[in-house]
Amino acid sequence: MSALSLAGMTRMGDLRLDVDLVVEPDETVAVLGPNGAGKTSLLRLLAGLLSLDSGALAIGGATVDEPGTGAFLPPHLRRVGWVPQDRLLFPHLTVAGNVGFGPGVDADRVAGLLDALGLTGLAYRRPDECSGGQAQRVALARALATDPVVLLLDEPSAALDVESRHLINGVLTAAEAPATLLVTHDPVEAATLADRLIVLENGAVSQAGSPREVRSRPKTRYVASLAGLNLLEATASGTVAVTALGTRVVLAEPAEGPVHLVVPPTAVALHRSAPDGSPRNVWQAGVTDLQPAFERIRVVLDGPLPVVAEVTPAAVEELGLRVGSEVWAAVKATEVACHAI
Amino acid sequence: MRRFLLAFAGLAVVLLALPIVGLLQRTPWSSLPDLLGDDVTLDALRVSLVVSLVAALVVLVLGTPLAWALGRTDLPGRRIVRALVVLPMVLPPVVGGAALLFALGRRGLIGQWLDRWFGLTLPFTLTGAIVAATFVALPFYVIAVEGALRTARREIDDLEGVASTLGAPPLTVLRRITLPRLLPAMGAGLALAWARALGEFGATITFAGNLPGRTQTLPLATFLALQSEPERALALSLVMLAVALAVLLPLRDRWLPGR
Repeated sequence: MSALSLAGMTRMGDLRLDVDLVVEPDETVAVLGPNGAGKTSLLRLLAGLLSLDSGALAIGGATVDEPGTGAFLPPHLRRVGWVPQDRLLFPHLTVAGNVGFGPGVDADRVAGLLDALGLTGLAYRRPDECSGGQAQRVALARALATDPVVLLLDEPSAALDVESRHLINGVLTAAEAPATLLVTHDPVEAATLADRLIVLENGAVSQAGSPREVRSRPKTRYVASLAGLNLLEATASGTVAVTALGTRVVLAEPAEGPVHLVVPPTAVALHRSAPDGSPRNVWQAGVTDLQPAFERIRVVLDGPLPVVAEVTPAAVEELGLRVGSEVWAAVKATEVACHAI
Repeated sequence: MRRFLLAFAGLAVVLLALPIVGLLQRTPWSSLPDLLGDDVTLDALRVSLVVSLVAALVVLVLGTPLAWALGRTDLPGRRIVRALVVLPMVLPPVVGGAALLFALGRRGLIGQWLDRWFGLTLPFTLTGAIVAATFVALPFYVIAVEGALRTARREIDDLEGVASTLGAPPLTVLRRITLPRLLPAMGAGLALAWARALGEFGATITFAGNLPGRTQTLPLATFLALQSEPERALALSLVMLAVALAVLLPLRDRWLPGR
């Protein structure tokens, strides 16, 4: 019996949210997507603050929303724990009052959760006397106090201090933690907390899998840019693929039909003049931007293969790179990963 | 420029403070206990308190749902109703009283039916005074609460949403989240409405008359005394000043803006 299973569609203004997703008990699933993809609406839908136009939603094995049969269970009967992005602590109640708000939550439960989240000393504080990280912990404790079947987290560790992050991760990964669905725009948060990733773009699932699978085989430009990888759509024929811009890319292994070419930025070599040698993909490009990334510089290129190269600051200096520079770029065929679409 | 502005600000303060000083300066302190203890004053005080408190209660009971309908629903005609709500604030109270008389008087539009069916007569009764006070006071409360509801609509929606996911049924959400969140605005609006009802003059004298012990409120008694017994008028004014301060001081910290 799944903790949560949704296959349905709803419309809100311009957004059409059409999602299939299942969360098993003991599982943490992250929904990753850009702003406006429908992440928060998805959580509100699951919590019962929005309703489906078609399809069905079940929580803990019980159907809670099915327009076809007219079934709709209001939020207070759904057993979901919602931790909204802006926490939404009840301003007129203390920390302990917030955590103990749910009907039937007893004092022992409140004390246990305050302790687990390092909030015992704050029990009688008002929400406006809490820091952002503390407020987030209170919101999580409040949601957990009602023993939800599934926990819904909206951007759970956005702008958290180290201590709060540590405590929250501890509670979420504990054995007794409920099934969890978190939505985030932060790939690091998604990868560190979740067993499985679902990528949501424009209200629809564009990719799903383990964090490693998603990272290594991005299917959309959005996922590729999150993973720091270059993604090019192309049509392959043998060991040659032709991109949408008509550029020929040499592959190490033959392939046929529409493909995604994934190129790690570190595999893009930059030269002052045309390099010679082995079967490589070589092209001339202009530098449109230089972005520092830890100890490397990301060089954004235009030209026939618009990709990002990642090089050392020393290389940038040596090549005299600046915005507007002309360079030669090269990628070995063996560095181009090719995935059939 | 700054000096110029401060001069005018000072002038405004003088304008506000001077009447109070004048009132206190002319107050007949020695005969005050006698004036305050006699029947005319006590009757007027009693009528005023009954009228203003009952009016405040009616304002609370009728005004809260109206503020909710205006601030949290998308019902059609809200603009018209909103304009209607403000009307008693801008209407001269005497006109309001006359309008009440034409509508609820014995031969009025509705008054004739009230009289015929229920034997209920409003003009020149205590109930009539309460109706007049409610009429002029209601806008102050509705505007305060509707404003709070509208500016915090999103926040209230969200807080109610969270409360419901925690297992709280709608009535519990109303009692434990929505009302506490609105309490400051309701208190401030009610205080203003009550103060307005207490000071009501024009609509009351037009609609309910000036019957000592029945419809003669403190403002009416003051006005009457001013023509024959100025000392009594001063004493009555002092009573109203004291009542106003008694309301204002505890509210200052919690409800009045600018803290």
